[in-house]
Amino acid sequence: MAEPTAGTSLTRAAEGLIAIVLVLLLAFIPLVASTYLIRILTGIFLFVALASAWNLIGGYAGYADFGPTAFLGIGAYTTGILMTQAHMPFPLALAAGGLCAMGAAAGIGAVLLRLRGHYFAIASLGFMLVMEQVAANLEITGGGSGMNLPVARGFTPFYYWMLTLALAAIGTGALVPRLRAGYALGAIRGNQEAAQVVGVRPLPYKVLAYVGSALFFALAGGVYAYWFTFIDPPTVFDPDFGIQAIVMVLFGGAGTVLGPAGGAIVLKSLDILLTNTSGLLHNVFFGGLICVLVLFAPRGLVELLRAGRRHLPDRRRLQRSGAG
Amino acid sequence: MMLLEARSVTKLFGSLRAVDAVDLTLAAGEVVGLIGPNGAGKSTLVNLISGLERPTSGTLVFAGHPLQGEGPAARARQGIARTFQVPQSFGTMRVRQNVAVAALFRGQPAASVPLALREADEVLEFVGLTAKADAVAETLTTPDLRRLELAKALALRPRLLLLDEVMAGLTPAEVDGLIAVVRDVGARGVGVLVIEHVLRAVMGLCGRIVVLHHGQKIADGARAEVVANPAVIQAYLGVPYGAAA
Amino acid sequence: MRPLLQVDCVDAGYGGVQVLWEVSLEIRAGEIVALIGANSAGKSTLLRVLSGLLRAWRGGVMFAGHTITTASPEAIVQAGLMHVPQGRRLFPALSVRHNLLLGAYTRRDHRAVADDLAQMLRWFPDLADRLTLPAGQLSGGEQQMLALARGLMARPQLLLIDEPSLGLAPLVVRSLMDVLERLRTRGVSVLLVEQDVGLALAHASRAYVLEAGRVALSGSAPALLADPRVRAAYLGLAA
Repeated sequence: MAEPTAGTSLTRAAEGLIAIVLVLLLAFIPLVASTYLIRILTGIFLFVALASAWNLIGGYAGYADFGPTAFLGIGAYTTGILMTQAHMPFPLALAAGGLCAMGAAAGIGAVLLRLRGHYFAIASLGFMLVMEQVAANLEITGGGSGMNLPVARGFTPFYYWMLTLALAAIGTGALVPRLRAGYALGAIRGNQEAAQVVGVRPLPYKVLAYVGSALFFALAGGVYAYWFTFIDPPTVFDPDFGIQAIVMVLFGGAGTVLGPAGGAIVLKSLDILLTNTSGLLHNVFFGGLICVLVLFAPRGLVELLRAGRRHLPDRRRLQRSGAG
Repeated sequence: MMLLEARSVTKLFGSLRAVDAVDLTLAAGEVVGLIGPNGAGKSTLVNLISGLERPTSGTLVFAGHPLQGEGPAARARQGIARTFQVPQSFGTMRVRQNVAVAALFRGQPAASVPLALREADEVLEFVGLTAKADAVAETLTTPDLRRLELAKALALRPRLLLLDEVMAGLTPAEVDGLIAVVRDVGARGVGVLVIEHVLRAVMGLCGRIVVLHHGQKIADGARAEVVANPAVIQAYLGVPYGAAA
Repeated sequence: MRPLLQVDCVDAGYGGVQVLWEVSLEIRAGEIVALIGANSAGKSTLLRVLSGLLRAWRGGVMFAGHTITTASPEAIVQAGLMHVPQGRRLFPALSVRHNLLLGAYTRRDHRAVADDLAQMLRWFPDLADRLTLPAGQLSGGEQQMLALARGLMARPQLLLIDEPSLGLAPLVVRSLMDVLERLRTRGVSVLLVEQDVGLALAHASRAYVLEAGRVALSGSAPALLADPRVRAAYLGLAA
């Protein structure tokens, strides 16, 4: 979670300009592109949002959440129920879904985040499985048969919903390291005891990261639900959402700002290409990728790129642990 | 009023008496040495004072208030700072940011992140780490990691500073440099407890020395007396201080 | 008499950064040689080259008549060269006894291993008291003693030991130096890397001073103790 290397104000301005141009381009795409391309991009934006969100708890806080999809499902179902039962307009229902997930995350996080790494990973997975069962056994959710949402008019709004979510998630990821809370998370991730002895109480900040991740998963779930019109427990509590998000973050670089988004874009695009070629290849691909990552690039793409640039002999690198 | 008072503090790990009915006092501005053989209970005592462990019996009183249930974070905010024997940095953050964490979470925190970073730079200069301020903490050598530990503790603006073997592995010149830093800190009214094996540092810094052995206090007094104490020589020094190696 | 260890003009480093330049030294049987120098001078790096953990870029290393420049660390241990690294590197979940036995992992002479274990417990009585405890529960100094004892379980002909006095009480340091002296009288050689230069020169017969990756000075211990440069830079004594 290192601060971005101090660049000149010119570099910062240039980066800002590029970002704005990119966003404007993306905003204009639905006016010129095919329906097919628009849907693909929407799918990519979904995973950019999920990956950047997971980075908050998995990257910045260093706690591997294996059940983030629990909140995607909570968001999906809350949105669906409020739209069908309470006839709420979509934006309101979506916001309510987000709030609901935040509350659930705060409650369950306050308990689970007291656990250390591996135990938390298993427990979070367990939570997701429990939520799936809850959804499958309630009447209000339609039980195992699932539920139908009102049909939306036109697809294009979903493109913009997902794009906004993706940008908001990236923006959050960019903002957090600069905030006091971000410093707390970096310290906790480094060494929790050392963080405590300089005054950081770990639990509130871990919960904050968890709640942040949950919010974006839930909002993504709500949009997803309205987009696909029909949801059922296996679909919105599908662990695959979480697994893909995790792999994308690891591939791009956990704890970096743009790594997760970059990982999502690259991997989702490859995924789509491969699915069109062969369904089997898709499964082999992600499994194989995890192996390659662990062996050759455990810190992800961002670190590989940084290391590549640094391979010039440098006096300062003598200070690396090992010399002397 | 004493800054720190330990009254008959005992810590048991199962049947092991790691700390055995230890009495200790430390006044503001005093630099006291804590020496003793390995496994004597020195680090355990520091863990008890800093809140990472709870005493089995006995009381610890800090600035007049008994320390009871407060965890390590609360004690840090009250002004108790400590270093770790094996330095624990926030590896993924830069050195300057490591120090800024302490400035942001102490009892009277820096008002903003930029202010905390600026303060961090001042502290880094004080301990001699300015050249490494932008380095990512996990790339530091061990001596620099020790300086970073000290910097983080100082950025907490502590009233009580517990130094756990900060001098290990330093050249005599580096030891002298760090002695000057710690003396400066003591002169500002901070109480310092120095756990050390590097006798050059203990004798250079500490007017008073406390000696632990098997968890018990076996000596507590002026440095010249303590190092001449036959029990201390037998248990810890081997030969009188200053005699040929 | 051919030296036990001969290091010839070794260059080495990490990634793109060179740390050692043309380092040459030799160690004969039954002597204690000190390697001193400031932090980041390259001392630990040189030990890693000798024990096979790091490959030299140029130059050669010969041990007991064999070239070991490109040998694997396991082969080097079997040849009789043991490295006790800085930072202990014990197996924290395993008992003291288990750690010690693992030091003798490459040996086949099981009865002699049992004898050596008993020997270690006599030389290090604190370890005997804690034989069944997990190594992670020992104090810092006790762990250091265990690391040395484990190294000795391999019955090395040459022991490379990195900063043994770090974090140890003076009394313990003395008994440690006694152990090294006992080894020397049995014909075992020691390359002692030490930050405490006074300590190192008091127990070694010869020493090399490493500065910024090069051998800056070498000679007998008494000569170096008297050398004004050494006194000023490393002993903290006014020139």
